[in-house]
Amino acid sequence: MDIDDILAEVDVHAVPRQTQDLQEFTRAWVTERNAPEILPWPDALMQRILERIRRQIELVEEQTGNTDPKANFRLIIFQTELERFKFLVRSFLRARVAKIDAHALHHLTDPSTKARLSPSELQYATTHTTLLHAHYRSSFLSQFPASLQRMDDTAGGMSMVEGPDVDRAVFVRALKDVEEPVYVEGTDMAFEMRKGDVVVMRWSAVREVVIAGDAELI
Amino acid sequence: MYGDHALKLIQHAKRTQALAHLPHYQTELVRETTREVRDLDKDVSNILAPFQGSFNPSSEPATACSVLVNHLCMRRNKRCLLAYHRVRSDKLEEMCWSGKDVLDQEQQAGRQGNGEGSGMASEVGNQSSLSPEEDEYVRQYGDMLAAYKGQWTDIDLTGSLEPPRDLFIDVRVLRDAGEIQTEYGYACHSLTILCQEWNY
Repeated sequence: MDIDDILAEVDVHAVPRQTQDLQEFTRAWVTERNAPEILPWPDALMQRILERIRRQIELVEEQTGNTDPKANFRLIIFQTELERFKFLVRSFLRARVAKIDAHALHHLTDPSTKARLSPSELQYATTHTTLLHAHYRSSFLSQFPASLQRMDDTAGGMSMVEGPDVDRAVFVRALKDVEEPVYVEGTDMAFEMRKGDVVVMRWSAVREVVIAGDAELI
Repeated sequence: MYGDHALKLIQHAKRTQALAHLPHYQTELVRETTREVRDLDKDVSNILAPFQGSFNPSSEPATACSVLVNHLCMRRNKRCLLAYHRVRSDKLEEMCWSGKDVLDQEQQAGRQGNGEGSGMASEVGNQSSLSPEEDEYVRQYGDMLAAYKGQWTDIDLTGSLEPPRDLFIDVRVLRDAGEIQTEYGYACHSLTILCQEWNY
């Protein structure tokens, strides 16, 4: 019997909510860090995680006065776990902010990408872009001829607004059998993904599958 | 020559990327490049003036060509200027994120430099490396970052991006630091271990 068989036997619902959330969030974190594009904001998951972190901090604060060595040891384990959680959330948010900063105008003008940002990220992106433009304007743009002052010029067949490279290669592992074969745009290639398969693919080809949760990036 | 100043700016930008600190703002080069754009624009209007809006590129290929070259140069200069400023502002943002108080540092470097003279040469160089516009930008970006961070007080968004391995770190006390308050409020007099958070 293989470890995978054993794991498959464990019913998903038997796993406690906390562990599921952690798994889900770790997956979201890895995916966010590897995908060239920004991914939808996991609102419900994030709220649960943050709520749990808040409760844990309260617990640690309450227990701090306790001088019992046993409780103290438990506290250390709690805190270590807490630090790990905080690191995950921090790294996740920072990965998103880095993507927002790299292609701020693209994220603000493209409606489908804009919808993926959380309200506070949207606010951050808007303010940052405004600041940056004001900075450019006061530094040199204001002295340019009026026709050259725009930041989203498309003259000369080239748009000034750059988007992320959605055709970048990513490593994908299928979490379940994907029913529909995956087509690679621009080629006549199509292939099936079975559970456990690891493939190197263009992000644009597997985007739907990953967002649907049938596959994860590694 | 067309685009010479812009090229120099790009070389500066390239160099900035590899440096740990921010070199001086190239006020003169930026001004020259901007002036070149304005001159080119004037040239274009002068060339096109005799045609009074009825310019037909296919009947006057030579004029069309010079207009095109001028236009391309203007656009190139603009891109170069944008790239130069972007590299610098990215660098400044990075400093804001890593928790360095850029403006404060600059002032301090200035003060120290005045007091101690040549020993602080590199920091004195740092003192005026920002343009007034960049100064303003850093201030505003810092405010915005603080506002964004404020929504994540539990997480400490600007904290370390290294995965935590251990809750405690070893600290060797170099001089009496007095009483130190840690995150969860325990105060210690002689420090041997400290929470990771308090990485002095």
